[in-house]
Amino acid sequence: MDAINKKSLEHLADLARIHLDEKKEEKLLHDLQNILNHFQELQALNTEGVLPMTGGTDLKNIFREDAVRERLGAEEVVDAFPDKQNRHLKVPPVFE
Amino acid sequence: MHSLHNLTIKSFHEGLVKKEFTALEIAQAYLKYIEVRDPEIGAFLSTAKDQAYQQAEQADLAIARGEEVGALAGVPMAIKDNILIKGLPATAASKMLENYTASYDAAVIVELKKAGAVFLGKTNMDEFAMGSSTENSAFKITKNPHDLERVPGGSSGGSAAAVADNMALAALGTDTGGSIRQPASLCGVVGLKPTYGAVSRHGAIAMASSLDQIGPITKTVEDAAILFKALAAKDRHDSTNVRVNYGDELLNPKLEDIKNMTIGLPSEYFIDGLSPEVRKAMDEVIASLKTLGIKFKEITLPHTKHAISCYYIIMPAEVSSNLARYDGIRYGTREHGKNAKNLIDLYKLNKSNGFGAEVQRRLILGTFVLSSGYYDAYYAKAQKVRRLMRQDFDNAFKEVDVILTPVSPTPAFKIGEKTSDPLSMYLSDIFTIPVNMAGVPAISIPAKVEGKLPIGFQLIGKHWREADILGIGQYYERINKI
Repeated sequence: MDAINKKSLEHLADLARIHLDEKKEEKLLHDLQNILNHFQELQALNTEGVLPMTGGTDLKNIFREDAVRERLGAEEVVDAFPDKQNRHLKVPPVFE
Repeated sequence: MHSLHNLTIKSFHEGLVKKEFTALEIAQAYLKYIEVRDPEIGAFLSTAKDQAYQQAEQADLAIARGEEVGALAGVPMAIKDNILIKGLPATAASKMLENYTASYDAAVIVELKKAGAVFLGKTNMDEFAMGSSTENSAFKITKNPHDLERVPGGSSGGSAAAVADNMALAALGTDTGGSIRQPASLCGVVGLKPTYGAVSRHGAIAMASSLDQIGPITKTVEDAAILFKALAAKDRHDSTNVRVNYGDELLNPKLEDIKNMTIGLPSEYFIDGLSPEVRKAMDEVIASLKTLGIKFKEITLPHTKHAISCYYIIMPAEVSSNLARYDGIRYGTREHGKNAKNLIDLYKLNKSNGFGAEVQRRLILGTFVLSSGYYDAYYAKAQKVRRLMRQDFDNAFKEVDVILTPVSPTPAFKIGEKTSDPLSMYLSDIFTIPVNMAGVPAISIPAKVEGKLPIGFQLIGKHWREADILGIGQYYERINKI
């Protein structure tokens, strides 16, 4: 059985906040099934007792001095925002 | 005046301090050439004439005042469009960031500005660095300067094409699964992926944070060493960035050290799928390095065959997390969502119209491998396989100093050849991905070939031993007069 089908793909797209039309969905389903079938080869590999590698390094406990650092000014941050009024950020209503 | 064609960072610096030319003259010559040539190649997404001229004038002023200037002063560079330069666009070749202007400098840009470099413009790439051909750019296709019907590789295809075609003296790229080395190989230039943690990622638009590194794309290995030394500075904004004292051996490798080295040839990389011209190029490189006295030894990296599956689970998982921020609220454009009925609808309209097909595919794949019920079978499994791949390298490096492999199974492929089947595109990265999984450094260096299309070879080093691969590379250049 395929790990992914039309219904689960629609649920995943919803979680990823992506809108799918019929044509896009069909191609995506085909591509993902191909890719996931390729992944099946991993299941045959025995990884019992192997410690997962959870990042790019084995560094631990990186500390910095608890002091004020140079940072972006509020204006630069407001400038990068797509919609604003004076110096206020405009967002669509969250509650309906 | 020097032809742009013959300049390297090294010869530029010599000419500049001897006052054979000014930095401004050279910057003008590059920007003029970009204007004439780039409509055909498509390497740049934007140029930055005013900022570039100001930076060049600063370098000229320092020389006029009799100050001693560093190796990068006045050096005209191209920067991949996912690296932020304050006041310039940073689109990551995505419609999502079409109108975004960077509000700060990436850590590498801060270092290069201190060193006096000149930024000519921002280069084309696969959208958010997702691809191996630069065909996934939302804005344009970049062509391979050696054959305009072929791809330059990717995702740093614009940077590699710009350097290969003398539209910049050097460039920066980013490499998550081969995005510096593969385009360097396909375009006939040098590309270095540093050890994970050697160069700060602060201000590079994140794709997969446990794999991404910024690195140089240059005409010679010597230039790559000069540029890498400037990039490898401690930056407190990236907590994975490690302070390493890279010494003089980067720039002045000793022949006695090089000739005592042993290079490993992994049997998993010299396979039947290798094109005959790539195999021939590798044989000739090995023969050439043997004349230096370097010894070769067959080794094994047994988990190589799992690299593609492992990478295409871990990378999209990180992508789906990193790209959540592009929802049309915080950055870039909210244009696509202006008719939204509610907030969720706004997110959906922005993401579906702002992202291209490959980005959407990876977002959904990443959401899948992290979802409950599948997490252990995919993501957790892949992290364990990643550990085994890293151990492969640790074991190999007990026997050898450096590993030599091809960069890509074939030379540059035709534009459009692989776009319809994502899996076939993914499989072309088989020789570069394991390096990112293990976090080790690797460099792609053009082999001396007779045909029209360039072929690169890859040298992989131990963690923090960029000096070994840059050293062997510099001697390869010297004996082959490149």
